Amino acid sequence: MFRILVRRFIEVVIFVLVITFISFLFVRLAPGDPVLSILQVDDVSITNEQVNELREELGFNEPLLVQYGDWFTDFIQLDFGNSYLTNQPVMEMIMSGLPATIELAVGALLVMLGIAIPLGSLAALYRGSWIDQISRAVSLLGAAIPSFWLGLLLIDLFAVRWGALPTMGRDGFRSLILPSVTLGLAITSVYVRLLRSSLIDSLSHDFIRAARSRGISEMRIFFAHAFRYSLPPVITVFGVSLGSLIGGVVVIEVIFAYPGIGKMVVDSIRSRDYPVIQGYLLVMAIIVFMVNSAVDLSYRYLNPELRLKERKHGKWS
Amino acid sequence: MSILSVRQLHIMGKQNHIVKDLSLDVHEGEWFALVGQSGSGKSMTAMAICQLLAPNLQAKGEIWYGEKNLLTLTSSEIRKIRGNRLAYIFQDYQGSFTPFLTIGQHFDEYQRTHSTLSKKARREQAVKALISVGLNADIYSRYPFQLSGGQLQRVSISIALLLEPDILIADEPTTALDSVSSFKVLQLLSKLQKETGCAVLFITHDLRHVRKYADRIAVMKDGAIIETGDKNQVLNHPQHAYTNKLIQSSPSLSRNPFKLEGVSG
Amino acid sequence: MELVIKKKSKRRWRMTVLFTVMATVLAVAAYTFLILKHDPALVNLGERLWPVSMEHPLGTDHLGRDVLTRLLLGAQLTVGYGLLSLFAAVIIGVPFGVIAGFKGGLIDRIFMRIADAFLSFPDTIVAIVLSGLLGPGIENLLLAIVLVKWVNYARLVRSTVITERQKDYVTAAKINGLSSFGIMRKHLFPHLIGNVLVLASLDLGKIILLISSLSYIGLGAQPPAPEWGAMLNDARPYFQSNMLLMIYPGLAIVFVVLLSNILGDYLRDAFDVKKEVES
Repeated sequence: MFRILVRRFIEVVIFVLVITFISFLFVRLAPGDPVLSILQVDDVSITNEQVNELREELGFNEPLLVQYGDWFTDFIQLDFGNSYLTNQPVMEMIMSGLPATIELAVGALLVMLGIAIPLGSLAALYRGSWIDQISRAVSLLGAAIPSFWLGLLLIDLFAVRWGALPTMGRDGFRSLILPSVTLGLAITSVYVRLLRSSLIDSLSHDFIRAARSRGISEMRIFFAHAFRYSLPPVITVFGVSLGSLIGGVVVIEVIFAYPGIGKMVVDSIRSRDYPVIQGYLLVMAIIVFMVNSAVDLSYRYLNPELRLKERKHGKWS
Repeated sequence: MSILSVRQLHIMGKQNHIVKDLSLDVHEGEWFALVGQSGSGKSMTAMAICQLLAPNLQAKGEIWYGEKNLLTLTSSEIRKIRGNRLAYIFQDYQGSFTPFLTIGQHFDEYQRTHSTLSKKARREQAVKALISVGLNADIYSRYPFQLSGGQLQRVSISIALLLEPDILIADEPTTALDSVSSFKVLQLLSKLQKETGCAVLFITHDLRHVRKYADRIAVMKDGAIIETGDKNQVLNHPQHAYTNKLIQSSPSLSRNPFKLEGVSG
Repeated sequence: MELVIKKKSKRRWRMTVLFTVMATVLAVAAYTFLILKHDPALVNLGERLWPVSMEHPLGTDHLGRDVLTRLLLGAQLTVGYGLLSLFAAVIIGVPFGVIAGFKGGLIDRIFMRIADAFLSFPDTIVAIVLSGLLGPGIENLLLAIVLVKWVNYARLVRSTVITERQKDYVTAAKINGLSSFGIMRKHLFPHLIGNVLVLASLDLGKIILLISSLSYIGLGAQPPAPEWGAMLNDARPYFQSNMLLMIYPGLAIVFVVLLSNILGDYLRDAFDVKKEVES
């Protein structure tokens, strides 16, 4: 298992190198001059001198590879540089934005679990019943509703018209509710159906009948046997759809002006704030790596065969 | 003395009538064999007893155990009987166990459902049961995938007989085993049966087992019982043509078994 | 071509209905200009924010433009862009996948590394960053989407090829003297097309959502294009007074995405494809 983690880590490192270099190139070669956009922020007229000065200062006159090399050596030491706009260390910006983003992601996941687990379970247990139909409708509809639209509607309903919740920003628990619910609803649809079909499959296995024949209660059979057995496919899909979850967080943060790193990166894209963008990409790659590793680990926990067969160093590894 | 009475049992699927008007009795302490080809409905009959049929199947009729009609019991009532007074072992040994639970966890769950022993006592009871079926104590912490078919069937037997049920329903327990394991498992079953005095409802298509172990047998064809009776009576003097065919097609049971030259018994 | 389609008459009927609806939607989108009389881009501040009327069945927007016209034209854009980027992703991905699947060996391994590298990155983020860096504009957004999506098709095709190659009927066909191409045509292509179709129809909805989300943020279609996401952005400030302006485009998006998802579901059932296709 250790070997797999290491191998994966190396892959991520290589990928991070590649992506940072590409984004580096890209960002430098992209239309729009960052120097100009930085200087134009204050709406003061700029002289050519100022432009050249800033260019020199930011090292834009050096050959590209040298620029990359400089940046990379800083990166290794976890110095992601400073924002072009605010001159704040990128690392600091990320660290202050990260808690908000994580709150949002966790909140959304909790909402999703709170809906998908009951709905998916009941749909599986009572196949063909009205609750099964509802779960299908919820899932289809949920997948079709744009999360940003839903967010806007909810804001305008709950926050503007009824004033029950704050419209934006991060100010205590209440401001977390709307964003989490919006994002949670957006991701629920896939998991409802998935859990349902996975459970239906689990419940049809012989070992369920065997447990019943021993007099084990239906509750226990459902939770300790069937449910646990249905987890792997759900976890797999979670790992795979991590990309859209992260994307969803970004959109929601922008809509609700929630000060996480998603909003941070969108703002920095608009202003061509390269160091921030690169810092964000890197942090994301690391997070994705960690989550995928956790997913792998969970397989091992859930399925003892994976754990134990590996030790034999035979054809299973 | 009859401890299980099946009366006019019908099992129906959406479009087919699988078991038709079936009646049988299992007597206290006896080994009753229910014999038939695949598809004759014998497994279904066994499953119906404790309401273990698939949800798309319907069972009608009466199945008397003591004062109770098992088909009319509520789920909480039937749960008290399942595994406790009536136990099962299945043909698919791997499928009888939940893959991510150890043997010990299977025991534990079962014991906690039907008794109130302490953790230590449960473990002791389980280990003792494992040893009584000829297995090592360390099987307790193994996972099902780590055991062979023969071992798993023994575990199944040890769990099934743990609480000394009145009837053990064995649905083709050795059909999927190699002949050596098969032999051992059946021998074990026979021995334990005599020790605990429980009845065995033995589902099989293999008449050799019947000849060796059964007390009474019933022959099933296309969802109905065509002949019932004492083992020797039925096997030696079959009433029905089908029974006769079954017997004839099992070479070691026919009257004139031919001997190959140079091969001893 | 032998396609394995489950012949349940109920299903067939539903699919026909579905196809008809989708075809109508596409037809309306394509031929909008024949139906409607208003210029979607003509700004007419004198008529702004008018309510529902005969002249303007859905009212006018904040710049006096007819909402219905813009909505229908938006179908062209939204659905058209979605299909375009989908098509491009498929065109790029399929050949890669076929080559990787057939050649195997080093080429395949390199390909898998590249694909994994692409995939270890959150795709939506890459789309956002790419389109953001390339600059606002729908072409850039579509390019970003294609760059992100092609990998899924390549991987799908590759695994289909690998699975099918190993099947017995391929060996049997070879024994019977069928040429490689003949085998491919008769057996492989149906599976390929089936799998790709299912993935594509499920992807269409996601792509449309992505396009409208990013257009809302300002990274995709630019005004005055009547793309639905952009229209929602325009309508936002007027929510209090003219709520309907925010509802229509959203409903339109839901409708189209719902249709394509249902279609994808039925296609998947029809081809009896396993769940792995989704990921």
